[in-house]
Amino acid sequence: MADPAVPPLEVTHVIKDYPGNVRALDRVSFRIASGERACLLGPNGAGKTTLIRLLTGALSPSYGQVRLFGLGMESESFLQARRRVGIVPQLPGMYRDLSVSDYLQLVKDLYGRGDIAEVVEVFGLGPYTRRPMAELSGGTQRRLSLAAALLGSPEVLLLDEPTVGLDPVSMRDVHAFLRRIMPGRTVLLCTHNLAEAEALCESAIILQQGRVVLHERISALRQRAPALLSIRAAQGPERLLAALAELGTPGRQEEEAVLVPTPEPTTQAPELLRRLLAAGVDVYECRVVTPSLEQLFLDIIGAADARA
Amino acid sequence: MLAREVKILFRKELGQLLRNKGAMLTALFLPLLLMLIIPLAQVLAVNPDHPKELPIPPDVSLPPGLAEVGKDPLATVRLLLTPLISMGGLLTPALTASYIFISERESRTLELLVALPVRVGQILQAKLLAILALSAPVCLGLFAIVGGLMLSRGLGSPGYVVAMFIMVAASLAFSSSTALFVSLLARDIRTASNLNGLVLSPFLLGSFIVMAVVPGTTLASAVIAGGYLLGTAVVLLLALRVVTFERMLR
Repeated sequence: MADPAVPPLEVTHVIKDYPGNVRALDRVSFRIASGERACLLGPNGAGKTTLIRLLTGALSPSYGQVRLFGLGMESESFLQARRRVGIVPQLPGMYRDLSVSDYLQLVKDLYGRGDIAEVVEVFGLGPYTRRPMAELSGGTQRRLSLAAALLGSPEVLLLDEPTVGLDPVSMRDVHAFLRRIMPGRTVLLCTHNLAEAEALCESAIILQQGRVVLHERISALRQRAPALLSIRAAQGPERLLAALAELGTPGRQEEEAVLVPTPEPTTQAPELLRRLLAAGVDVYECRVVTPSLEQLFLDIIGAADARA
Repeated sequence: MLAREVKILFRKELGQLLRNKGAMLTALFLPLLLMLIIPLAQVLAVNPDHPKELPIPPDVSLPPGLAEVGKDPLATVRLLLTPLISMGGLLTPALTASYIFISERESRTLELLVALPVRVGQILQAKLLAILALSAPVCLGLFAIVGGLMLSRGLGSPGYVVAMFIMVAASLAFSSSTALFVSLLARDIRTASNLNGLVLSPFLLGSFIVMAVVPGTTLASAVIAGGYLLGTAVVLLLALRVVTFERMLR
């Protein structure tokens, strides 16, 4: 009987070094609670795929512990824990000499359970069961990967860039599948698509240069980040920035607008507008903007860079 | 006993090998040539009742391994067959392994396998077993034909045939473990072929040297077999401890 107190995914002080003195992960620690849907974010080379491979047991850490349901990969029962995890790898190759049904049968045999007919129907793979995997389109291959990950009815899903390289229609289809399958499961979604992360996940782990710089609920991140005023002036953003600087108010140009952090827009916005107008700046647009996850991510990465 | 996962993966690997025309051609054509056709031609060309003596001048001193030729003309057949047959055992698994290891890495389908509930070691174990399941019956079976014919025509003693059988088995083990080692180092089939040549050539050459230096073809076959078994242990140790399976994923 599973111990509900044991987190499904736990990484403790993990260091992963590759030959050539390359440190891919540096003292990474986090735990994903049961039912949590977390996204793993970070720039290229941050260590996201290395982390996913450590969680699957394909790689072993140079130092530290990686546990699935409390079991490390050295444990004899590790494969039992692995059978409770479904994984969608990043851009895997597809077999030319295995059909879709052959592959799903292999997956079912290894998991020891699963209803192939059900996943074939759910993921629309019916017309393709006899086709070699390599002959499928990109979107269909991705649906096959999802079907294989779900076949064993896993409690945990590890999704490594599930929509990368897909056209918008295929991406929308995959997102629709993910929204259906994610509730009730523990999920770690590794993605560059911040809109996707925001739509599907409730917490974010941000990796940079092999270190965790943040692990927080997305809603809490938003509360920490101040609201922004997006202001446009007839004289252009440079004049607006100069006027704000004279008023001692920091701002950041974004295309033709200037973004001004404003913790209390209800009270601060009117006063700021009056002062700008008094300074001769013809403001013609002013609106409150909630920072997107992308902006929060860039701010955090930028701050982490500055500290480094 | 094999783990459940290894059995399942082995079925998948063997099925893929049997469907792969290139792998099948390599696994069948090369041993057919080296371990049946050429040896049969040599064995059938010799008349055991009236063997042709080699005109070796009496003042020529031969190495211990070749000295037998001066006393027993039929030894020439054994001297030529031993390294030839060991070559078949060495080359067959090495070439087949390129399909089973490197192509999976090149095509990135290894990513699919490691996403399944298996250990990397089990994946490699299944592949090694598939290579042996294909090459061992072929190589050992073909040698059994040649060995039986040699026994029936009096071209070799039972001890010699048994020693050769063990040598073929040892060469298969060595070649398979070398194939694993090479697959951990090479990223493509061309590099794997070059590395295979680099690793196996000294042993091929060594088998000829052993035949020349060690007196008696039976003893020489046993020494070659011992060399292959030692090589197997060394290569497996290097593959498991030094190079490790993680290279397959890079």
